[in-house]
Amino acid sequence: MLSAHLGTIVGSEHVSIAKEAIAVAPADAAQAAAVLRFANDNGLPVSPVGGATKKGWGNPVSSKITLHTHRMNALLEHTWQDMTCTVQAGCPWSSMQAALARHGQFVALDPLWPDHATVGGVMATNDSGTLRLKYGGLRDLIIGMTVVLADGTIARTGGKVVKNVAGYDLHKLMIGAFGTLGLTTEITFRLHSLPVSSQSFTLLSQTVEPLGDLLLQLIDSHLSAQSIQLRIVGDSFGLDIQLGALPEVLKEQSSLLLEMAKKAKLSVEEASNEVWNSRHLLFADANGFTIKATMLPSDIARFTSMAHGFGGTAVTQATGIMTAFLPEGREEAILQLRREFTGSGGSLVILQQPANGSVDLLDPPSNSFPLMQKIKQQFDPNRILNPGVFLGGI
Amino acid sequence: MLSSVILAELTSAVGADGIIVGQNQLHTYECDGLAALRTIPAAVVLPRSTAEVQTVVKICARHRIPFVARGAGTGLSGGALPAAGGIVISFSRMTRILDVDIPNQRITVEPGVINNHVTQRVSPHGYFYAPDPSSQTVCTIGGNVAENSGGAHCLKYGFTTTHVLGLEVVLPTGELVSFGASTLDAPGYDLAGVFVGSEGTLGVATSVTLRIAKKPETVQVLLAAFDSIAAAGQTVSDIIAAAILPAAMEIMDRLSIRAAEASVHPNYPDAEALLLVEVDGSAIEVETQMQQVRSLCKTNGAWEDRLAQSERERMLVWKGRKAAFAAAGRIAPNYIVQDGVIPRTKLPVILEEIGRMAEEAGLLVSNVFHAGDGNLHPIVLYNASIPGQEEIAVDLSMRILHRCVDHGGSITGEHGVGKEKQQAMGYMYSEPDLDTMQRVRCAFDPQQIANPDKLFPRPRLCGEKTGPYQLHPLEREGTAEYF
Repeated sequence: MLSAHLGTIVGSEHVSIAKEAIAVAPADAAQAAAVLRFANDNGLPVSPVGGATKKGWGNPVSSKITLHTHRMNALLEHTWQDMTCTVQAGCPWSSMQAALARHGQFVALDPLWPDHATVGGVMATNDSGTLRLKYGGLRDLIIGMTVVLADGTIARTGGKVVKNVAGYDLHKLMIGAFGTLGLTTEITFRLHSLPVSSQSFTLLSQTVEPLGDLLLQLIDSHLSAQSIQLRIVGDSFGLDIQLGALPEVLKEQSSLLLEMAKKAKLSVEEASNEVWNSRHLLFADANGFTIKATMLPSDIARFTSMAHGFGGTAVTQATGIMTAFLPEGREEAILQLRREFTGSGGSLVILQQPANGSVDLLDPPSNSFPLMQKIKQQFDPNRILNPGVFLGGI
Repeated sequence: MLSSVILAELTSAVGADGIIVGQNQLHTYECDGLAALRTIPAAVVLPRSTAEVQTVVKICARHRIPFVARGAGTGLSGGALPAAGGIVISFSRMTRILDVDIPNQRITVEPGVINNHVTQRVSPHGYFYAPDPSSQTVCTIGGNVAENSGGAHCLKYGFTTTHVLGLEVVLPTGELVSFGASTLDAPGYDLAGVFVGSEGTLGVATSVTLRIAKKPETVQVLLAAFDSIAAAGQTVSDIIAAAILPAAMEIMDRLSIRAAEASVHPNYPDAEALLLVEVDGSAIEVETQMQQVRSLCKTNGAWEDRLAQSERERMLVWKGRKAAFAAAGRIAPNYIVQDGVIPRTKLPVILEEIGRMAEEAGLLVSNVFHAGDGNLHPIVLYNASIPGQEEIAVDLSMRILHRCVDHGGSITGEHGVGKEKQQAMGYMYSEPDLDTMQRVRCAFDPQQIANPDKLFPRPRLCGEKTGPYQLHPLEREGTAEYF
């Protein structure tokens, strides 16, 4: 019955029945709107799915319908002279970047699993990597969106120009909302030129303090570092730095960096680009906990060392975003870390935990939580969009 | 008029010296930088603290009195225009810098702090606050937050929203809440993101945590003179295509050059078009990039280029540009500054169109623009004492905005919608788009008392059923034809 009706919307060949939910794959925003309208009228919970690389993130949701975006996978427009592009949500991140690279441009963000993760999924989870230091996060890179609301309303927000203050920045609400406010079908990005040349270095130390001090010196310096991260390497620590600039500038900057390291009595070695994938490794073991924690840059050394003390492995960006892995059975340690982070103005969110894990995924709601509930109520009064996946059960 | 009971409540909230009700004094608050629109408020309050702001907003909520927050009143779209019978909450007494954290590159200020004072405070440490609207020596951070202000340097450094990390906000219901944090990615919806640029319609910020930026090691400004705007515009495109990201790129046309010259004497060359390019970074980086920029200027026919290297030389070059709006007063008794945005590549087309439309309307339009990001500031010149000319000027300025939208741009890049461009919002966005924005409004301000009757072409009753489902224009057209 249900699947037959959904078949009339998207074509029966794009509906399949899985164990717990019916999978539908709309061709465009209009079909997606019809699916959501139907689900909304009948109170059927819907979970949007892109590349399913981060499916375990957030609270578990039991949906009746999974809405797959893989048919909406086109790069619709790349106006390279204006340095913007519009892409459909189901486009894999790497496919988009490959197309943009033909004109020497890219969306300046390095998310997890780019070959499989979709543009929409990266947006909904607000993923970001080391490039955030130089280029900002998705909130700085997304300039417009098309969103389908729970009742089937299709709305456009922002536009195709980088500078635009007409109306509310609704797309900022969608970023990191785990699909709880609407299904994003198209995204317009501002683009950057691909760096002409870059060079990576690693500094190793038995103790974390000299690396933490150098990190603060680097962000206070005139070096054009595009990525900086502090990493736990076995029993010691590593500070990775990537300089990106014109070739003639790069030479000068490298020698400045070597000088700073020498002064701090730290040895420097050239690093391969592999070090920038260290974050991915922290998700490899599904029997443990993978967390995202935020802190001020001046707390990076202290907290990275603390994670190490609890038997964890961690990579912390100079922007103050840490990804860490703790082995199973470390619930107490995670709760203690959460108290430490929130006590210092940061936060701790669990991205992945063992099937029998029992820690609340998200921080206790802040004083703006009631307002978040009201926004959810306005956008999705029947709670059909990924209900419960988000902070405080939104 | 407010009842004596309400006036007594307000007086007890802010003290007798914190409330203005005298007609003569109230005139000061009847308009902002858009002086054509004026409404005398019922009262002005001057709170000293977050607690006082909260008490005032609670009084407003209880009695359903509209209110608007006001910084320096320099806004150009009527954002701080009072509502009839409403209250103005002036932030002229909340001007404290609350916290400076240099290692973490953050500063927390009260909303009445002047934009330029933030830079002055952190400058000894080698930092600056990047958003730099032309009014930066007087405009306040609270106003910048409301309008998501930009400035010449946002091409490289981003807008106010890029630099706001956290906010303390009094909601229109009187609740005090925090959005964002000093750290990134606070869990939950990005409420700071939607609040910045909401033009006072979602509440009142009482404290703002900002990101500050490292002052570049070297800054150079090039001033190049061209025989046509098209050649200057082409140079901008070539610079971008060469993967150079200057800190700022500005173009002025003949009319605005003459006005600036008459007003602040920056000693500009007498050209059809001037291009200002500011490049910053490490010394060697600036050297290399400036060489490229100069050669691109030459290729496009620049017949004079001047490189300003010292602080004093740079200030002089910028002085003329920053005075461009006020200088328009030298060539016409009245003028309207507009704020359209177009994709950069549409620059030659829109300028030709503006020229034609101006000619048809029998008016002069001078142009200054942030060329790097396609943000145009056409200045429509007119004489209000000639009957009917003001109407023609307003109509022309709105039609220019419509053309910007037609080219895939926006009706405002940094001045905000306010009262001035409410109707143009209906041209840029469809009904479902606006309705979706109003859902946010309803979540924040169900009584619609925070800066009402602004931003949207018409209000939406909160709790109202939105009526039968309507096709979005995209659907009617079929999404395939959309691009």
